[in-house]
Amino acid sequence: MGHFVIVGILVIVMAILTYMGLDLAGVATQMHPVEASLQSLSIDWLWHWQIVAISFLFSLIVVPMAYSMIVFRRRKGDTSDGEHFEGNTTLEIVWTVIPLFAVLVLAYMGSYSLGETRRVDPNAITIKVKAQQFSWTFEYPEYGIVSNELHLPVDQQVVLKMESSDVIHSFWVPEFRVKQDVVPGRVTEYRITPILVGNYKVRCAELCGASHAYMENGVIVDTKSDYDAWITEQQAAALANQTPEGKGQALTVKNGCIGCHSVDGSKMTGPTWFGLAGSTVELADGTTVVADDAYLSESILNSKAKEVAGFSPTVMPPYSLTPEEIANIIAYIKTLK
Amino acid sequence: MSHTQDKSSALAQGVVIFVYLALLTALEYFVAVTFDAVSILVVIAVIKLALVMYYYMHIYKLNEGAEGDQHSYEYKTGTMRLGLWLFLLSDAFVFAGLLTTRINLLGLTRPHLNQLLGLGVTSVLLLSSFFMNRGETAMAHGDKKGFMNNTIITFVLGLGFLFGVVLVEWPLAAKEGLVASFGDPANGPMGAVFYMMTGMHAFHVLTGLIFLAVVWNNARKGVYSAEKHWGVEAAAVYWHFVDLVWIIFYPALYLIGKLIG
Amino acid sequence: MKKFFSTALMRGLFWQLIGTLVGAGLVTGIRAIMGLSTTDTFFFTEPAWVLGAFFGVLFFLAGNGSVTDWFKWARGIETPEHHEEHYSGWEKYFNVSLDHKVIGIQYTVTALLLISIGGLFALIFRTELAESGLQFLTLDMKLFGQNGPQLYNTLMSLHGMIMIVSILLGVAGIINYVVPLLLGAQDMAFPRLNAFSYWIAVPAAVLLLMSLVLGGFGTGWTGYPPLSARAPVGVQMFFLGVWTAGWSSILGALNVIATVIRMRSKGMTAMRMPIFVWAAVATSIIAMTATQLIGLSFQLVMFQRLLGMGFFDPAKGGNPVLFQHLFWFYSHPAVYVFVLPGLGVISELLPVFARKPLFGYRWIAMSSMGIALVGFLVWAHHMFTSGMNEYLRVPFMYSTLLVAIPTGVKFFSWVATIWKGKLSFETPMLFVVGAIVVFLMGGLTGPPNATISVDLHLHDTYFIVGHFHDTIFGGFVFPFFAALYYWFPKATGRRMNETLGKIHFWLMTPSFFVLTLGMMDVGLLGMRRRIVDYDPALGFDNVHLVMTIAGYLIGLSVMIFIYNFFNSIKKGEKAEGNVWNSRSPEWQVPSPMPTHNYDQPFEVVGEPYDYGLPGSKYVEFIVPAAKSKHK
Ligand code: HEA
Ligand code: HEA
Ligand code: HEC
Ligand code: CUA
Ligand SMILES: [Cu+2]
Repeated sequence: MGHFVIVGILVIVMAILTYMGLDLAGVATQMHPVEASLQSLSIDWLWHWQIVAISFLFSLIVVPMAYSMIVFRRRKGDTSDGEHFEGNTTLEIVWTVIPLFAVLVLAYMGSYSLGETRRVDPNAITIKVKAQQFSWTFEYPEYGIVSNELHLPVDQQVVLKMESSDVIHSFWVPEFRVKQDVVPGRVTEYRITPILVGNYKVRCAELCGASHAYMENGVIVDTKSDYDAWITEQQAAALANQTPEGKGQALTVKNGCIGCHSVDGSKMTGPTWFGLAGSTVELADGTTVVADDAYLSESILNSKAKEVAGFSPTVMPPYSLTPEEIANIIAYIKTLK
Repeated sequence: MSHTQDKSSALAQGVVIFVYLALLTALEYFVAVTFDAVSILVVIAVIKLALVMYYYMHIYKLNEGAEGDQHSYEYKTGTMRLGLWLFLLSDAFVFAGLLTTRINLLGLTRPHLNQLLGLGVTSVLLLSSFFMNRGETAMAHGDKKGFMNNTIITFVLGLGFLFGVVLVEWPLAAKEGLVASFGDPANGPMGAVFYMMTGMHAFHVLTGLIFLAVVWNNARKGVYSAEKHWGVEAAAVYWHFVDLVWIIFYPALYLIGKLIG
Repeated sequence: MKKFFSTALMRGLFWQLIGTLVGAGLVTGIRAIMGLSTTDTFFFTEPAWVLGAFFGVLFFLAGNGSVTDWFKWARGIETPEHHEEHYSGWEKYFNVSLDHKVIGIQYTVTALLLISIGGLFALIFRTELAESGLQFLTLDMKLFGQNGPQLYNTLMSLHGMIMIVSILLGVAGIINYVVPLLLGAQDMAFPRLNAFSYWIAVPAAVLLLMSLVLGGFGTGWTGYPPLSARAPVGVQMFFLGVWTAGWSSILGALNVIATVIRMRSKGMTAMRMPIFVWAAVATSIIAMTATQLIGLSFQLVMFQRLLGMGFFDPAKGGNPVLFQHLFWFYSHPAVYVFVLPGLGVISELLPVFARKPLFGYRWIAMSSMGIALVGFLVWAHHMFTSGMNEYLRVPFMYSTLLVAIPTGVKFFSWVATIWKGKLSFETPMLFVVGAIVVFLMGGLTGPPNATISVDLHLHDTYFIVGHFHDTIFGGFVFPFFAALYYWFPKATGRRMNETLGKIHFWLMTPSFFVLTLGMMDVGLLGMRRRIVDYDPALGFDNVHLVMTIAGYLIGLSVMIFIYNFFNSIKKGEKAEGNVWNSRSPEWQVPSPMPTHNYDQPFEVVGEPYDYGLPGSKYVEFIVPAAKSKHK
């Protein structure tokens, strides 16, 4: 009996120590990043109890093992066998039924927590999300705004209606916890209620190609008043931007061009647009061309036609844009000097 | 119902089973053209499967040869039989996967196909199974000539099925537009599913034909006897399996669901 | 050297090359006649590469002689049941052999080679991850038609798939070597099929590596369309390679099941089989059936690419999520293929080193079957965020959680086995203990993934990466090493160096903990999987650096093992008797094992694990007189 008492005590001590260790590492009571959404609360709640269970179960196995390894190790010169003990049906039933019970509890808690994260607020604001290699575009249908930053009012449920124009992406803001794949050919829904004002990022969580790592856009949770101010500002900007260059810029946001092309000279998946117009472009076959309007429009419609040196031609998807739209984009590219 | 039964009653049994299968197929067709009842079609298909597995493929033989000397021919044949059935089980998962694909992508719709042709090739394949059964029974009773004749008939029917599907049905379906685009938003990938399912099945028919040719040639050389003819049994079981798959695929492609396109 | 180039391996590879050229040439010729383009970025067009690769596999098998006997049978020519070995020494292993022991070793060594290659890839991409930003896999570099990030994705995906194939081969290696010995069988039920199953894996591995040079494929080992439908032609080699390796797995598993059902010794009833045999059967049930679906899922994408069939193309009415169902219907049960044999090794070795009966034999045997069968019903837990039907997720959460119960039974029974044993810690036992702890960590991080709401955070993060490295190392890598140290003397008559073995263990285990705990930590914080670069603002640089160092240390420990392994074959300490004082039949005869296994058949007369029961016996060899009557 003595062994059992000692092991029992050690299991409890070890479980507490494990839990404290995990807490110290910051992973016990919540999953690391700040809790910025209502949904994160019930998720972290479940997580916390799972950490408690894991600490206990881990100790429950490891402690008696370590204890046996030390106390029951074979002494030098001892060649005898251990006790002949083949099994015990009661024990087997005990350690089948208790985990079964634990599993039932976990299943219940899991369903409860899922229910909480799926809770629907009928007054949720709808925002349209478009994912493309390798950027996100957000459209506010009520206000006619298109942006590559997602602004959300705090304490207000939003529902994102998400579509992909190429491959599968996944919408994930770690601080919100929840993630949802964006699948071409269907609209997936993402419901979230931000509760903490701050600057976050949506990080694409499904491998979607060469620049998957960089498919990150800003997500800003504003106070109600800041949010309204931002909406007004965007609407005004949209009005002011009725010039060709302005429309062109909007188009590059809407079509996700800026996921691959920088406007400040830095290198991304595609060549930068900074100083592109009128410059001499080196092609993969060693020849050069001058980036005049014809070249630019050809590149936009079919980037494979002339391969730029150092980039892979298969990456840029073909776009179907009207001549006017292309002209606008080119006008915008020309402003980037 | 074991292999000890005498030849004429075994052959008679083959006839009875074939009549059952033929009637069920006719019923199936009739049900499908008159009213829409997936569940009835499923039940009929399952009955057909059971009949073929039990009476033509002799699934009960898996229990035989479990005892005795591990080096004897019977014991080894028992092992091979188990191996073959395990292989068929594994292969069945491919077809189950294709069927799942079909159900997921097409749901309760079906492609525009020539119904008479479908019924025709189905009958041909069923008939080939009947002759295969006769051939195998003949061999089991040491009748080499009977085996060879019946196998030739099976082979020709099998070839007929293959030509019917690949050389007649495929071009016909292509004309219906099934290949032009392997799928469009309205119809879904109807053509893709159709060609993949029939193609995978046709590939198995082809391997079955090769298998038949091989055992036929070996029989000619006198390799098999009433006691030792595992190769014949294997070829027969495999051939019936190919039939089995078609018993499912035929209603899945031709009979179930609303016609589209 | 000349001998080496005329081995079946080299002949096979030579014919694979010819086959590839023939197949590719054929398609190119037809295309030329039809007036279609004949060359592409990687010289041949995609259809040409695919048919070439396929022909390559066929030519390999025909050319290396592993199907010769079948062709003879087809022509009505009988062949002797067993070939006498033509070769001795190392040559035996490079040629086609029908001996399950030789095949087991061929599998095992191939698995070690692939682990090294896959591990090397891991070390390469881990080096890039050591710091945020792009250091050497930059946008400017170009190798095999890929820039840095694309190369990262290829290496990462290949790391995953090569490692998985190496597990399948390693598992097959142990099972092949050990199961017939444990059953008292002369060989597997179908020796030719067994050789075939091994040899088909070789061209498969070649195809996987070919994908790297044909433009790679940055899709992850899961190869989800539409991304894989747009990847370079390398992805076709990947698909075909996996498809081919799948056949190795399917046919090998079929053989195992037939062997266990038909080839047991006298008196070996189901409940008296060594416990590892149960694990092998449970594994094989999965491998034999479910594997077909990964093959099919990849095949459908191959055809989507080749012929424009729109199975998974939404623009054509296809459904990308369907692919995920087909894929995971195999790939979830597959994870139990990885671990069940390993758990079987743990159950098999623990009694030997604890000198006590296996606690609750029946329960452990049944739990293997339970895990295998429930494992068929949980696949969609990989798809909680995929956009599949909301409500379908819940039953999958429940079924997934259920797996904890049979797995728990194993753990508790192991603890009870150790309890009050007389434990000794030779290298195999160290790896067994390591396996239990590591697998426990992996297992316990499973249920959080299974509860949907928590998984919405964890999915596709390094937490998952940590989870599965733990389960895979605990369930496969550690037990695999334990098995190698344990059965090495049986195969060679020598044992591996204990000191190096202990260094291997004490270097690998702590490094491994650091690696995976680090993975889980950054994963929770927001580190996504499959990214070449991470946001420096997240502050992961230090942890990643430590993880990379830990990865190198694991690599170092594996290199020590490989040195020890090959060095001990010739130079190891002689060990021809029952080194571990085991009751198992294979240890009752001298090592190395004779070619046709047991000279005298044995009969099972007791329980397999009755350690500590004086006078009890598991097997008794039947006296030659009885034997001569049979022959
Ligand atoms: C060797 C392989 C292996 C094993 C054995 C497991 C075992 C388990 N896995 Fe794991 N898993 C993988 C390999 C493995 N996994 C891989 C490779 C992936 C990623 C694939 C990819 O996307 O690339 C993955 C991903 C993965 C996911 C998807 C995560 C995601 O992508 O979002 C989930 C979700 O449910 C999951 C769950 C589980 C569970 C519940 C178990 C259970 O079987 C664990 C059971 C064991 C225990 C629970 C511990 C012992 C039990 C007790 C001590 C009893 C008491 C316990 C309780 C009552 C809880 N795994
Ligand atoms: C058997 C399975 C297995 C094993 C053993 C390992 C071993 C290792 N894995 Fe593995 N890993 C997977 C299976 C495995 N992994 C899978 C399935 C994935 C998912 C892929 C995907 O997402 O698609 C993955 C993904 C994965 C990632 C995530 C990548 C990403 O998402 O971007 C990381 C990151 O750190 C990683 C690291 C490591 C490291 C450092 C090791 C180390 O243990 C490696 C140690 C090194 C060696 C074992 C090699 C030693 C030998 C030599 C150096 C000699 C070489 C000489 C010659 C070849 C001649 N792995
Ligand atoms: C997925 C990444 C990606 C997206 C999205 C993308 N491009 Fe590109 N783009 C590239 C790459 C890579 C190249 C260079 C290779 C080539 O020329 O084919 C390129 C080349 C170009 C060029 C020629 C540049 C030069 O330096 O000569 C222009 C102009 C261009 N893209 C415009 C656009 C516009 C407009 C859009 C959006 C409507 C867009 N791109 C979207 C990747 C992308
Ligand atoms: Cu989009 Cu990853
Ligand atoms: Cu899984």
